[in-house]
Amino acid sequence: MLLRAIVTSVLRLGLGYGVALVGGVLLGVGLARSRALKELAGPLVLGLSAVPSICWLPLAILWFGLSELAIQVVVILGAVLPIAVATESAVAQVPPQLVRAARTMGARGPRLLYGVILPAAFPGILSGAKLGWTFALRSLMAGELLFVSGGLGQLLETGRDLGDTALVLGVVVLIVALGRLSDVLLFRRFELEVSRRWGTEAAS
Amino acid sequence: MSVFANTLDRAPLGAEVPSAPPLRPAGRQPTGRAGASASLEGVSFSFASDRVAIETTSLHVEAGEFVCLVGPSGSGKSTILNLLAGLLAPSAGRVLEDGAPIAGPSPARAVVFQDAALFPWLTLQQNVEYPLALQGVPKAERAARSAELLRTVHLLRFAASYPHQLSGGMRQRGAIARALATDPKVLLMDEPFAALDAQTREILQGEVERLFLETRKTIVFVTHNVREAVRLADRVVLMGTRPGRVLREVPIALERPRRTGDASDARVHAYAAELAAGIRDEVEKIAKEEADDAWVAPGGGVRVDPRRNLGSGI
Ligand SMILES: Nc1ncnc2c1ncn2[C@@H]1O[C@H](COP(=O)(O)OP(=O)(O)O)[C@@H](O)[C@H]1O
Ligand SMILES: [Mg+2]
Repeated sequence: MLLRAIVTSVLRLGLGYGVALVGGVLLGVGLARSRALKELAGPLVLGLSAVPSICWLPLAILWFGLSELAIQVVVILGAVLPIAVATESAVAQVPPQLVRAARTMGARGPRLLYGVILPAAFPGILSGAKLGWTFALRSLMAGELLFVSGGLGQLLETGRDLGDTALVLGVVVLIVALGRLSDVLLFRRFELEVSRRWGTEAAS
Repeated sequence: MSVFANTLDRAPLGAEVPSAPPLRPAGRQPTGRAGASASLEGVSFSFASDRVAIETTSLHVEAGEFVCLVGPSGSGKSTILNLLAGLLAPSAGRVLEDGAPIAGPSPARAVVFQDAALFPWLTLQQNVEYPLALQGVPKAERAARSAELLRTVHLLRFAASYPHQLSGGMRQRGAIARALATDPKVLLMDEPFAALDAQTREILQGEVERLFLETRKTIVFVTHNVREAVRLADRVVLMGTRPGRVLREVPIALERPRRTGDASDARVHAYAAELAAGIRDEVEKIAKEEADDAWVAPGGGVRVDPRRNLGSGI
């Protein structure tokens, strides 16, 4: 039961976070590079990113029912906005001198974006991605707590129903471990690489 | 030398200085593509209607000539360099390379910026190879070319270092190597040594002159420092401000390679003093505008130290 709950939660997290990461980076780059998009969606993105993602659950259930999709929507919405906001500011803060230098060497359009702007913004995008991960984990746990559908959140709820404090605490410890482990597995090597190249201190 | 509309025509400086064209040591074969001429014809550029960076300015740089732009901050030196690079388009007038209008940035005109602008996520070698990769040069050829360039600027040992591991002077040499990678015809340098200490600066000046003599590329070099301009240039262009424009042009008739010994030092000093005098009015004008009350020049004029930077008397 425990193993199944872990697998269920991790798979959901992986899928929802993956979608949020791609979408958030694309949205962030778009906001930083396109004035039209910025004017159209900028205030909306900032405003919505202040909404706790679990607030989307009622709407998600109304639209998609008590389904896998509903919980994914909550996870994605929880992670995509912080990633987009961090990406936008990372791209906006790329030193203009680097872009100018690249342009004098003939870089334009997509090659300028992929070869210079995104690498230059990578440290900021990475911290946005990390933030997005914790948001995704929180949204998932909240969602799983609120409606029965397997996963670690639901196991917490079961523990409460049974009055099993040990189970509840055990699951909390598991969630902490999951957070740390994912940090090491997903983000650590990128952070080390950034500090090696940029010469900045690695965060522990 | 060409003197255009906006140049104040005055008597040539330093009558005691020989007026023969600068000498080049014989017997050296220039390597790579030789320089192209570059010019501005009646060019104006404004950032906004009330922000005129340069006004109807003309400037001609011969192929294979080393020209230094000298002037106070805001006199449009960087604007001219960016126009020549193709990063900016003129509001009026024409910007030309070998007589043809410049439509945009091109690897034929490379730029070295004050802060080097090396990419922090790439090693020195990868930085030098970046413009070659953009041109689709195969990997093996890129490696050979970057090694050769890094040897030229004495940085081969640091090929695998990231920019943050290098000193300011080394980063600047790396930026020069990267600029030379595409074998440009024109090298544009915007205060490349302004942030360096005096000794490093002097060493790099020597290296830039050596590269100039070996490659015969056209070099347009912006500096605040009158002595640096005299040390390097075939011709110094004095810039004035508000609006930015060319004040006058001064050919430097000193043989190459320039020496730092005593005999030449006196002549360098004479040129530097002449140049500083040439912009004294300009510096005074800025000082007056920037002071918040009625400003009176102490002792009848701003003291301009000819051996140091412009405006050190403000
Ligand atoms: N990005 C910019 N936006 C608005 N004004 C600018 C910008 N860059 C430069 N200027 C103005 O244009 C003028 C010339 O600037 P610049 O070419 O940088 O001078 P210099 O390099 O000689 O110091 C200055 O008055 C400066 O304030
Ligand atoms: Mg400047």
